Amino acid sequence: MLTHDVYDALLRRARSGGADFAEVYVERWRKRALRTVNGGVEEATSSIQLGAGVRMFFGEDVVYGYTNDLGEAALTELVGDLLALRHAGRNGGAGASGTGHAGNAAGGDGAGRPDASGRGGLDLRKLDVGPAIHAPSVAFDRHDKRWRLERLREADAGARIAPEITQVEASLQEVEQEIAVANTDGILVGDDRVRTRLVVHAIASDAQETQTGHGGPGLSMGLELLDLYQPADVGRRAAEMALTNLRARKAPAGSMPVVVGNAFGGVIFHEALGHLLETTAVARNASVLAGKLGEQIASPVVTYVDDGTIPHGWGSTRIDDEGAPTERTVLIENGVLKSYMVDRWGSLLTGYRPTGSGRRQDYTYAPTSRMRNTFVTNGDTPKEKLFEGIERGLYAKVLGGGQVRPGSGEYNFAVREGYMIRDGEIAEPVRGAMLLGKGPDTIKKIVAVSNDQSNEPGMCGSRSGSIPTEVGQPHLLVSDIVVGGEA
Amino acid sequence: MSFKAAKQWLLNEGRRRGLELEVLGSSQRQLEIDAVDGKAADFNLSTRGGVGVRVVVGGKVGYASTEDLAPEALAWTLDEAVENAELQPAGRAALPAGGALGRHDLLDEGLSAELAAKAGAAVELHRGLAQDERVQSIQYARYSEGQIDVELGSTTGVDGSYRAGTAAVIAGLVMREGESVKQGFEYDAKGDFHQLEPGRTALRALDQIGRQLGARPLITGRRRAIFEPQVVGSLLQLLSYALSGKTLAEGKSALAGKLGERIAAENVTLVDDATRHGGLASRPFDAEGTPSQRLVVIENGTFRSFLHNTDTAARTGQSTTGHAKRDYRSTLGVAPTNLILEPGSGISPGDGVLVTDLMGVHAGANPITGDVSVQAMGLETANGETFPVDDFAVSFNLFELLLRVEEVGAEVLERPAAGGGSVVVPSIAVADVSFAGK
Repeated sequence: MLTHDVYDALLRRARSGGADFAEVYVERWRKRALRTVNGGVEEATSSIQLGAGVRMFFGEDVVYGYTNDLGEAALTELVGDLLALRHAGRNGGAGASGTGHAGNAAGGDGAGRPDASGRGGLDLRKLDVGPAIHAPSVAFDRHDKRWRLERLREADAGARIAPEITQVEASLQEVEQEIAVANTDGILVGDDRVRTRLVVHAIASDAQETQTGHGGPGLSMGLELLDLYQPADVGRRAAEMALTNLRARKAPAGSMPVVVGNAFGGVIFHEALGHLLETTAVARNASVLAGKLGEQIASPVVTYVDDGTIPHGWGSTRIDDEGAPTERTVLIENGVLKSYMVDRWGSLLTGYRPTGSGRRQDYTYAPTSRMRNTFVTNGDTPKEKLFEGIERGLYAKVLGGGQVRPGSGEYNFAVREGYMIRDGEIAEPVRGAMLLGKGPDTIKKIVAVSNDQSNEPGMCGSRSGSIPTEVGQPHLLVSDIVVGGEA
Repeated sequence: MSFKAAKQWLLNEGRRRGLELEVLGSSQRQLEIDAVDGKAADFNLSTRGGVGVRVVVGGKVGYASTEDLAPEALAWTLDEAVENAELQPAGRAALPAGGALGRHDLLDEGLSAELAAKAGAAVELHRGLAQDERVQSIQYARYSEGQIDVELGSTTGVDGSYRAGTAAVIAGLVMREGESVKQGFEYDAKGDFHQLEPGRTALRALDQIGRQLGARPLITGRRRAIFEPQVVGSLLQLLSYALSGKTLAEGKSALAGKLGERIAAENVTLVDDATRHGGLASRPFDAEGTPSQRLVVIENGTFRSFLHNTDTAARTGQSTTGHAKRDYRSTLGVAPTNLILEPGSGISPGDGVLVTDLMGVHAGANPITGDVSVQAMGLETANGETFPVDDFAVSFNLFELLLRVEEVGAEVLERPAAGGGSVVVPSIAVADVSFAGK
């Protein structure tokens, strides 16, 4: 999006200022969102987002800056300011006297350093990122806003399956993102990304209670999403969940066996395991799973994969946000830790092979190691067998969002649709359950994995912002988890 | 095109097209310095700004925004806003009439310290943390500052601007003692760099996280709970969903129809005050130009007011309270500013659980129903002996809990809150709360 000469000049300036590595990331987004409440438009927005981020490494130290002025002068000033900061801050931080806070970058120890390439300059090679396997087949300009509104009204109508459904909220989000990355390794690479998501929230109420249900399919594609997922079906499913919760009793509290549902059930491992395998957590020894490659860290029935190459996957891209090709990474095979998710900085610190896992919400974040589409693979226990022999347990059919502290592995997440298991059978619905525990304990307690793996989209928030990821798994049984409910 | 030129371009173009148009522009400059191994190592410097428009076409409202200030992008933005407005059902919306609001500088010299001193703050924080042997990993020891410039103008006469900013130190760390590992973070934010005390923040972080080491699983049961101020802050943020006029207008507020009624214990008085001197979320006017004021939300347990912008006020037959919230990228919303729970006469000691931290409030709480079941950490006192506890969840309904507040602490903690607000909060004590653990 910038000219070749501008990338070249910025990267050279960074190198001559002492940076060991420098990267320029540029992007432009076009976003639209439409939201209805009870079929009426509640929110319709459109935006253009545009900006550039400059990152430099000095040894293991990272300097990052961004601006949404893409003029050459503004970008050159940003690189200069960052170099000045680095030099002044280093000197000032070293002692109380602060003798070095003049901010004279040219006088710093890296001044005049020649380009390390030895070729007399950067030779930016435009990389081929392969076929556009995630490209949309129904482009956003194929239909107007009225057409979109009608699709959302179908979702609303689909949810009206009982008089208890008092409110339906439906939204359509569509984004187009164009990115370019150039760095001092001499690469220049770009990607176009298109994503669409439909989200429906249904609220069911009776005289005593109000409960909710939801559904939210999303993929890397255009408006063909609404052919794959008929809005009326998505609405109906959200309403069914709300009605189930309305007749549910409060969940019991205590420790018990839990069968976790497939698809979004995988959020348990996203939180309890995935985040602990990002080098962001591993590098500074802030993950309980640091330094455990080759060790048996999970039950042997667990194989866990992070795959950014699934065609049209919500978390798929052709390159990551550092310009590296995306790949399929086996993280855990039969319970043995095989790989972390490694970005460039993480690789620098740990020495692990980069896995194309550098991701960021947008130009306002430096990339860090993040998940893409992460899931537990199929096992060989039929789903019905998972429930056998459980006297009293919880079937966590649909999970909501959660949270983890990678340092201690403590996680928690909400059960959005749950049922008691009694004498091996799925019994009455329960609501308000929260699963909690320590990830490294939980993954050892998985006793059986079924064979109905599927994935669902979500937004994952972490150090480099909120990014689209898929979570997934087949149905599986954990021998015991603490369920937070009503004591 | 410059930021101000873009605003003028849009207002001129809006007038030419006969639109009712409001332009909100803002630009934010941020600096972060992370200390690693006792030295300032990682730096982050950024500038981000843009303009957002709100148009009213035949009583219907539309929004769009851009960070690209080229004329084509500005024209696209105006076109999209008009299209978005035309999608709406027939409406009677209007932009609020306004006048000159003046130019305000709330930041003054607050961030004018030398860069070296700011880097020194991160280093002092790091050194303070590193002195404790139980620290296994320092994830971040950070100095962070932000400055925002806001410009507001409309074809109905609103015209004003202000500048505000804060400086903060933030610590994130993992501590270990034997097999027990705990992770947490601590921060302090002020309107003036010189009010920060990184050494004290480090000590507080070590105390807050260190006291949880060696925790035993809590046994399931009902007990008296004392919620520490930072936990009360999380609960107030949850409550603010029901207090929002937007939630009310959308039919989702559990507090609908309860104005003038008892919704909390008599010792609960809640105020939102955007004019609080030195408040972290103070501002001279809200996002549509309504001047800021001090608002009593709950007075001795009685519900006095929702928080409104002009739109939610009109839709619910109430008056705006000056709580319009918007940045250039978002649509008009409602948000608290400095949310203050007035301190009480103090908390008496006794058996029960001191809840020190909640995890996953966004996942484990339903803001519509008020049902909360979240993972917590704390200190249990039983038979006069106090020890740390973990692996448990605390469950309650927020609205019932408010009515059952027995005691309110005498000391308050001031903290930034999600979405740019702040909370000023004491502890509260509540009897007979459900704890689920072992």
